[in-house]
Amino acid sequence: MALKGLDIFKLSPKKNCKECGSPTCMAFSMKVAQGAADINACPYFSEDAKAQLSEATAPPMKTVKVGVGENEYTLGGETVLERHEKTFVSKTRYAAAVCNCMDEATIDAKLAKIPQVDYERIGERMIVEMVYVNYAADGATDYVELVKKAAAVGRTLILGCDDVEVAKAALAVCKDAKPVLNGANAANYAEMNAVATEAGVVLGVTGSNLSEIYDTVKALEGLGNKNLVIDTTGATIKETFANTVQVRKAAIKDNDRTFGYPSIVNLAKLAKDDQHLQAALASIFTIKYGSIVVMSELTYSEALPLYGLRQNIFTDPQKPMRVEPGIYPINGADENSICLTTVDFALTYFLVSGELERSGVPVNLIISDAGGLSVLTAWAAGKLSSSTIEKFWKEADIEGKIKNRKLIIPGKVAVLKGEIEAKLPGWEIIIAPAEAVQLVKFLKDMNA
Amino acid sequence: MATLFDVVFSGNDTVFGLTEGAIDAAIKEHGEDKAIAFPNTAYSLPCYYAVTGTKVGNLGELKAALGVVKTLMTREKRLNDVFMSGVATALCAEFIEALKYIDGAAPYAEPCYGHLADAIIRELGVPLVTGDIPGVAVIIGAAPTAQEGVDLVKSYQAQGILVTLVGGIIDQCAELGYKTGANVRVIPLGADITAVIHVVSVAVRAALIFGNVAPGDAAALMEYTFKRVPAFVNAFAPLDPVIVACGAGAIALGFPVVTNDVDTLAAVHANVPKSLIGQADVSKFNATSLEARDIKIKITNIDIPVAFASAFEGEIIRRGDMQVEFDGSRVDCFELVMTKDASEIEDHKIEVIGPDIDEMPEGSKQSIAYIVEVAGKSMQSDFEPVFERKFHSYLNCVEGMMHTGQRDMIRIRVSKDTFNAGFRAKHIGEVLYAKVKSEFAAVVDKCQVKIITDAAQCTELRHNLATPMFDKRDERLLTLTDEGVDVYYSCIMCQAFSPSHVCVVTPERLGLCGAVSWLDAKATNELDPEGPCQVITKEKVIDERIGEYEDVNDAVRKFSQGALEDVSLYSIIEKPMTSCGCFECICGIEPLSNGVCIANREYAGMTPIGMTFPELASMTGGGVQTPGFMGHGKHFIASKKFMKAEGGVGRIVWMPKDLKEQVADRLNATAKDLYGIENFCDMIADETIAEDPETLLAYLEEKGHPALTMEPMM
Amino acid sequence: MPFTAKSGKFNASIKPVTIGSGDKAATIGGENVLPFYSFDAEIANAPKVGIEVTDFGMEHEPECLKKYYDGCTTAADMVKKAVAFEGVDFISFRMEGGDPNGANKSTEDLMATLGEVIEAAGDMPLVICGSKNAERDAELLQKAAELAQGKNAIILAAREENYKTVGAAAGLAYNQIVGAESSVDINLAKQLNVLLTQLGVNASNVVMNVGSAAAGYGYEYVASTMQRIKAAALSQNDAQLQMPIITPVASEAWATKEASASEEDVPGWGDVESRGIDMEVETAAADLACGSNAVILKHPVSVATVSKLIKELV
Repeated sequence: MALKGLDIFKLSPKKNCKECGSPTCMAFSMKVAQGAADINACPYFSEDAKAQLSEATAPPMKTVKVGVGENEYTLGGETVLERHEKTFVSKTRYAAAVCNCMDEATIDAKLAKIPQVDYERIGERMIVEMVYVNYAADGATDYVELVKKAAAVGRTLILGCDDVEVAKAALAVCKDAKPVLNGANAANYAEMNAVATEAGVVLGVTGSNLSEIYDTVKALEGLGNKNLVIDTTGATIKETFANTVQVRKAAIKDNDRTFGYPSIVNLAKLAKDDQHLQAALASIFTIKYGSIVVMSELTYSEALPLYGLRQNIFTDPQKPMRVEPGIYPINGADENSICLTTVDFALTYFLVSGELERSGVPVNLIISDAGGLSVLTAWAAGKLSSSTIEKFWKEADIEGKIKNRKLIIPGKVAVLKGEIEAKLPGWEIIIAPAEAVQLVKFLKDMNA
Repeated sequence: MATLFDVVFSGNDTVFGLTEGAIDAAIKEHGEDKAIAFPNTAYSLPCYYAVTGTKVGNLGELKAALGVVKTLMTREKRLNDVFMSGVATALCAEFIEALKYIDGAAPYAEPCYGHLADAIIRELGVPLVTGDIPGVAVIIGAAPTAQEGVDLVKSYQAQGILVTLVGGIIDQCAELGYKTGANVRVIPLGADITAVIHVVSVAVRAALIFGNVAPGDAAALMEYTFKRVPAFVNAFAPLDPVIVACGAGAIALGFPVVTNDVDTLAAVHANVPKSLIGQADVSKFNATSLEARDIKIKITNIDIPVAFASAFEGEIIRRGDMQVEFDGSRVDCFELVMTKDASEIEDHKIEVIGPDIDEMPEGSKQSIAYIVEVAGKSMQSDFEPVFERKFHSYLNCVEGMMHTGQRDMIRIRVSKDTFNAGFRAKHIGEVLYAKVKSEFAAVVDKCQVKIITDAAQCTELRHNLATPMFDKRDERLLTLTDEGVDVYYSCIMCQAFSPSHVCVVTPERLGLCGAVSWLDAKATNELDPEGPCQVITKEKVIDERIGEYEDVNDAVRKFSQGALEDVSLYSIIEKPMTSCGCFECICGIEPLSNGVCIANREYAGMTPIGMTFPELASMTGGGVQTPGFMGHGKHFIASKKFMKAEGGVGRIVWMPKDLKEQVADRLNATAKDLYGIENFCDMIADETIAEDPETLLAYLEEKGHPALTMEPMM
Repeated sequence: MPFTAKSGKFNASIKPVTIGSGDKAATIGGENVLPFYSFDAEIANAPKVGIEVTDFGMEHEPECLKKYYDGCTTAADMVKKAVAFEGVDFISFRMEGGDPNGANKSTEDLMATLGEVIEAAGDMPLVICGSKNAERDAELLQKAAELAQGKNAIILAAREENYKTVGAAAGLAYNQIVGAESSVDINLAKQLNVLLTQLGVNASNVVMNVGSAAAGYGYEYVASTMQRIKAAALSQNDAQLQMPIITPVASEAWATKEASASEEDVPGWGDVESRGIDMEVETAAADLACGSNAVILKHPVSVATVSKLIKELV
């Protein structure tokens, strides 16, 4: 049970000195309670108080950083099991896999595909963030050369290697980019720990079952390493799902901090020859606790739905997703096409734009800033009114950009018609149906 | 002199004798093993099967069944004996009718139907369950004239009621060439009174098929037919004992009987209120029957000459386009809902008092008052303002009509086009009638509208009727306290965004969105019993001081799906109520001054707590308890229950200037009441005075703010 | 020290509902653990996968389906082939053409097609879906429930606007299973179940469609609604939310740009068939992970993939 801000405040110095960066001790305490600030940012908390609080305020799951620069990713740090309780904070990251057991041509082809997926979706750049470089003892290709080649793709690497010497050699060529070394197990953890610690990289822990992994993590923590991830991949899909869920559940629900680390799930291993099955599994592990999900390959086909899903799942349940206000021409609309306006709530946007596309009628969809709320909520909160529309029309210079003077407004705010007519002289205001699904017929009828 | 008992018993005996004779004759002719059944049913003799759980397969079994029927025919002079004899009569009728079908005979010919197949019942059952067929009329005998009979049938048919005919009424329909048949939902059953069993059979099979009533469970059967089969009987004079006995059977199933044979009723001293009703005027059978069976007819269209749609809600009628204007700011106008007794209301009566719109000069300003009078078993005067508030949107949905304001400050414009389309004063009544009847069907049984355009009467009524009503309501709102009511309401309208959040709405603490008052929640609950507002009792007090109740905790646990264990109503420190994302304001502790700061959603700046509204919102929202912080409605600020556990409104040390101005009058009054402080708001700082705790404290000290001397909050 | 996980088994369970009859009858629900948490307790009944066919037959289907339905034109033709596809547990027939804003086919036409579909499906369990227009569905589904008497089919769906008609016809008059559809809100889902129960429908004859969306299209609401419903049903023992969940995926997934944009329009995106399948399987997998007990898909490869996924996980 997380501590309430007020409990922390009681132990605070109550000086309002602002040295922590917060204007008041109260504000600081609230942030600490939320996990948004570190208690050590305050120089005046007594050691006693800190000790009392650190156990209670320490997050159940560690936050681990991998990669550098624009390829730096935060993993873990979750505090809940389901997104409706509180926002999931660290997105699942996806990796495409290569192995030194593959021939050169296959490797080159695979690596060449990785940068091809690169697009933007609701303000977020979507790429294959990581490359999993697997080491097979009997591999034909030189592992270190492979690592070099993979590093050249410019994404964060995960070295899947349980051979200490090979790992050392591989890290020598890539450690500055802060890869993950996924290779510690019950047999080699001490040596692997030394290699990882020296290179300053995150260490991945594997094992034949959860108990073995548990003991290895404990042993590594005993050696002072808490910069870990847990590879929960088991022998079968079923075992992998069980491992991944059990580890996360133990950490968050049962407060067992030994399992409080991000996870790696290797689907390339589990469903080698079935790309669609891998896609389905990636979706499941995005919802259920995969911090890094590794796939044989990740092309647009797998990525488009997967990244959309991730964008949905890793949102603040209280802050609806928003799209950028602006003019979205649909079906090849130009300045002479009719206009339709709605709010910037992403779900509304998708529903409306989808129906508009289906209608085949060229329409300028104008999204104004309505605080990311749905039509009725925005209207009730005063974020969608004749004034907000008038303001947006001026800011975005709609009249300069569009010559058509017909504007369709959402049926649910038909009540705004008169006011909008008054505020946008020269515009003919048309009431749309109340539901987006009725738009296709409405537009077709209007055009007929 | 014969009593009702005598009449029913004798009718029952007559039918029993006839049945016994008929069965014996049939056995004599066909033998005991002769199979007997109605065609196209899986329920044997449905009424007998439903009541006893036994299927009758042959004449021998039928004879045995008659023995069972005999046991129902007790002769004590109690109402129950009357009902049981009625049931026995009905079962006898079923036996007689069954005998007609022996050997696959087809005893009924056009236009009569006789026995109805299971398939028809499944088909009719669906609209019956959904209310699309709002009732089932059983008309027995001949009306005084054929025209009166057909008019009655037509009136039911127009309401979507399923009509079944027995006896002379069938000939009367034929005589006037009135179309009958299952497809027009007017079903002639047969000429003999025993044919009435075929409609009873429909009701009974509906109970078996749609009600999952187990055959033989007579109590469940009667409960189902009483509650779910909206049938009633219209029996024309003269009533003979057999008809009366059948009527007793109908009443036993919960179907009232309306008859114009008032003489017979008087003669036998029949007195079964709401079940056996004399109505000499056949033209009133419809209204009497519907009221007795509590049938409400759905209003589907609004009878006005222009369109009615939400698309017209935002229409603005400019002066040049205006035919006439009713302006409450210049002349006397008002709109009012009044609860009346059912007997004072004639449903759908619309009365215009004064000149109509076509008698008013074009472009003129006129007076108008409309009084919507409603009655209903579940109607409460607390709902009146809830209805009234909807008038604005109803009238705006009329094409070419604009409505603003409420109570006696309304303004209405009617456009020239709408006037030219034929729109007159009475159409305002049509709109209000149709909307009130359809949207508030759960509580409104009857509704009539008075539209007054006579200026003198408007003035008179405004001062003597409307204003006192409005004053009374305001007073009720002011005197409505948490202690004064028995129940609170939950509200979970915003759980889509805040899954675990539950608002507990009390008279003195409205929903934190500011939009749901206790009266609103109450009305929402009555109108939509499964909806977002549920009743919360408050019988088991845990802690009076912080306002904690066992029942409230149970409700919160249930409605938050276990996410919340306990809440207090009056504390922000101990188990404070949770906050969703849609609160109007947040209050939070400012420790230095031993008080709280309140920020409203519109306020963009910094608060002395060190957090802005969005920062506070992100920590307080989401349906979690955050001691020391709480979301609430603006109106709650001046409530005597605001932070009652921590000492009340005297804890408020800071508010944005705008918000302070909005609540000043009421807050000052509360502070005066609670602490005897005048102009309390002057002691409360705002952003122009302080945005940090030190400056705030200095100001409070200068003003002698009461929070400084209150108990420490933590 | 070995790791011992705390059991997440619940005392309450989802109500099992059987669709169809005979050897191929499919039972969904019955579990007392979260989706696929077989480590907490055995999953009573594996989730089921249905394949969707509409009254338009092949007419409106994407090009890529043609090779699987070679020689088919009508819905019944397709159903005959579909019953033999790998992984198909039930047939879902959707009367898309009933939409008054679309083709607005007559009830007679649609019932004739449905009759052929019922015939073609043989003993394969059936889900009969309406046109998505609540008013029209009241009529269509009432007739469909009558026509499918004895099939123990799911009638999808009764909604707030038409639950009385659809519920009474499917659940009371003709003994089918009532599909209760609400739009991504736990309270609306519950309210509809309460209303259906009050109407007299047996709670064990109800399955829910709590709303669906394709991955990326407001899916967070679907995920949270399903997860909250399962939590309320299992941990709070809320009987009014213990009905199994069925989720139509096909109509949402294949309507997205990702699944349908041609290779000419978006050259970088690659094979359109593969995109459609991935959109469908990824959405279906997410639904299953969040709590769906049955999903309705369109592409035979999707069906086989999701069916395999379920076998691997249960």
